Amino acid sequence: MKKRGIGIGCMYYGMGYGFSRPDVSSAEVEICEDGSVIVRSGEVDYGQGSDTIFCQMVAEELGIRYDTIQLITADTFATPNAGPTSASRLTYVAGNAMVKASRAIKKTLQSVAEEILGERDLLFLDEEIFSESHPERRISFRQLAKEGHFRGLPMVETAWHDITTKDVNPETGQGDAYSTYAYAAQLAEVAVDTETGEVEVLRIVAVADVGKAINPSNVEGQIEGGVAMGLGYALTEEIKEEGGYLKTRNLGEYMIPTSMDVPPIDPHIVEVPVSSGPYGAKGVGEPALIPTAPAILNAIANAIGVRVTELPANLENLHRLIREKERD
Amino acid sequence: MQRFQFYNPCSVEDALNFLAEQGERSKIIAGGTDLIPGLRLEEIRPDFVLNIPEINPFSGIKEIDHSFWIGPTTTFTEMVESNLLSCSFPALVRSAASVGGPQIRNRGTIGGNIANASPAADVLPALLAHGGELELQSKRNGKRIIPLAEAILSPYKTCFRSDEILTGIILKKLEPGTRSAFEKLGRRKAMARARMNLTLLLRLNHREEVSELRIVPGAVMPVAKRMDRTERMLLGKKPEPLLIEAASKTLAEEMVEVTGARWSTEYKIPVLKNIFKRMMKQLLTV
Repeated sequence: MKKRGIGIGCMYYGMGYGFSRPDVSSAEVEICEDGSVIVRSGEVDYGQGSDTIFCQMVAEELGIRYDTIQLITADTFATPNAGPTSASRLTYVAGNAMVKASRAIKKTLQSVAEEILGERDLLFLDEEIFSESHPERRISFRQLAKEGHFRGLPMVETAWHDITTKDVNPETGQGDAYSTYAYAAQLAEVAVDTETGEVEVLRIVAVADVGKAINPSNVEGQIEGGVAMGLGYALTEEIKEEGGYLKTRNLGEYMIPTSMDVPPIDPHIVEVPVSSGPYGAKGVGEPALIPTAPAILNAIANAIGVRVTELPANLENLHRLIREKERD
Repeated sequence: MQRFQFYNPCSVEDALNFLAEQGERSKIIAGGTDLIPGLRLEEIRPDFVLNIPEINPFSGIKEIDHSFWIGPTTTFTEMVESNLLSCSFPALVRSAASVGGPQIRNRGTIGGNIANASPAADVLPALLAHGGELELQSKRNGKRIIPLAEAILSPYKTCFRSDEILTGIILKKLEPGTRSAFEKLGRRKAMARARMNLTLLLRLNHREEVSELRIVPGAVMPVAKRMDRTERMLLGKKPEPLLIEAASKTLAEEMVEVTGARWSTEYKIPVLKNIFKRMMKQLLTV
C-alpha cells in the first residue's frame, strides 16, 4: 500500500569557517584606458554562479553593464589568494571584497569626474557619470577612464575582506563562533510503498533566508540543486567499503538522483539583510541542501510511523524498519 | 582502452565466415552498452570485435503466421515504439521501457540483452514468460532454433557456440484473453539496475479457473526461470486470495531453493511475495 506523509526540516548554518579559523577573501578591480574593466579573484566558480554575481556587484558599484566586465578567476599566476570555494562563503566574503575594491576605484573616478564636471553630486549609472542637480553635466564611463589614465592616477585597486571570528570559550564552549548565520526550512511530501520500501518524493517546498538575493534565479537554481543532492543523501547515496577497499567505485553504483527522481521543487527566497554582507547578502550553497533529508525522513515518519536513524533510507533499510514495526 | 581489430561485415554470410575462422577470438557488438564497459574494465579481451548492427536483416519486428520475429539488433526504443509489440506483448514492451534511460534504450538491443545474459537483464524474464525461442546461425551447422529457457547456462554465459550468431528472436502469439503484467523495482526511477522484477502471464477459462500461468522473477536468481511449482499450485483452480497467499509463499521458497540464504534474502522474500500478490490482484481485476 502507498502511504503519504508530510515532513518539515529546518536548519541554521554558520557562514564561512568560524571558530577563529582564518577566513579572508580578496578582489582586484582594474579600469583600462578604453573603459573596459578587469576583475581578478582567486575564487572558483564550480557551477554555483559566483562569477555572475561578482560581475553584478562590480557593475552595480560602477554603474556599468555587467556583461562588459572581464573576469579572471582561480589562476594562481594572475589572481590574489581568496581562500577556497567552501562553507557557503563566496557571496558573503568575496562579495564584500568585490564591493570594497569597486568603491575604492570609484573614489578615484569620482574625483576626476568632479574636476571635469565641476559638480559633487554625481551618479554612476548606465555607463555614464552625471550630476543629479544638473543632469546635462555628464561624461561617459569610457571617457572618464581615459581621463583617469591621462592623469596618471592609480586605476587598479585590491581589497581584502576578513570575517575571521573569535573562538568560543574553550572551557564552556560558549561564544559567537560565526560571523553570521543563514536560515532555511523545507517541506517534503512523500509516498511510501509499504510493500517494497520504495519512497517517492512528490514535492519539496524550500525556503531560504539569503539576506539579499543578488541574482534571484541563480539562488533558485542553487536551492533546486541543493534539494536534489539532499534527496540523494536521504534515499540512495551510499559508499560501501569492505576491508578498507571501496566497493562503490563509480556512478553506476553510487546512486545519485536522476531527473526522473527529482520532484517539482518550489523555491522561496526570504530576504532579511545582514549588515555584514554585501547589500545584506549571505550564502545559500549548503543551506539549500541541509534541510532536505530531515524533511524527507520526517515525511516518512508521518506516512508510516517509522523513524529512520540511518542513511540512506533505501529499499532494504526502510523495508526492514517496516517489518520490525509490523512484528511489534 | 585496449587494442582490438574492428570488423564490419557486409552481409550475414560475411559475418558467419569471419566467425567460422575467428569466433574464439571475437566478440560481437550490437549496441555496445554492455560490451564497451566490459572492454574498458578489461573484463574481456577479444582480438576482434565484430560489428553487426549494419547488417540489414538483423533488425525489425515482423508478424509471421502465428508468431512474431524480432531482429536481434532491434533497440529497446524500437520495441517500445512498436505498435505490433505493444498490442501483442504489453509486458515485454514495459520491460523494454524499464531499461536504463533514453540513451541506453536508443543503443541497447534485445539480442545484446540476451547474449550478455546478465542476471539483472530487464527483458529476459518477460521473453521467458512469453516462451521465446532463439534462432542461431553458423557456417558449419546452418540454422538451429532453441528455447530461450535453455540458452542461458549461468550468469553471463550462454550456450551459443563461438561461431554462431543470434539471428532472430521468435515469440508465439498469445492465446486470446491472456493478461500480462511486468513490474520493476529499482533504486531510482531511471538508470537503475533491477533490484527485482516480475513478469506474469495469466489466462482464465470460462469457469474463472487459471488455465495458464507463467511466473518469471528477474534479478533475484543467477538465471531467470519460470517458477513451475508455484504455477502448478494455481493451475486449474480459482485464484482465491487464500490460494494466492499460499502461492506467494511457495514462490519465495522456490527462489530461496535456487539462491540459498544471502544478505538480501530477508528483503527479497517478503517483497517478492508482495509484488506477486499485488500484480495478481491487478491482473484479476482487469
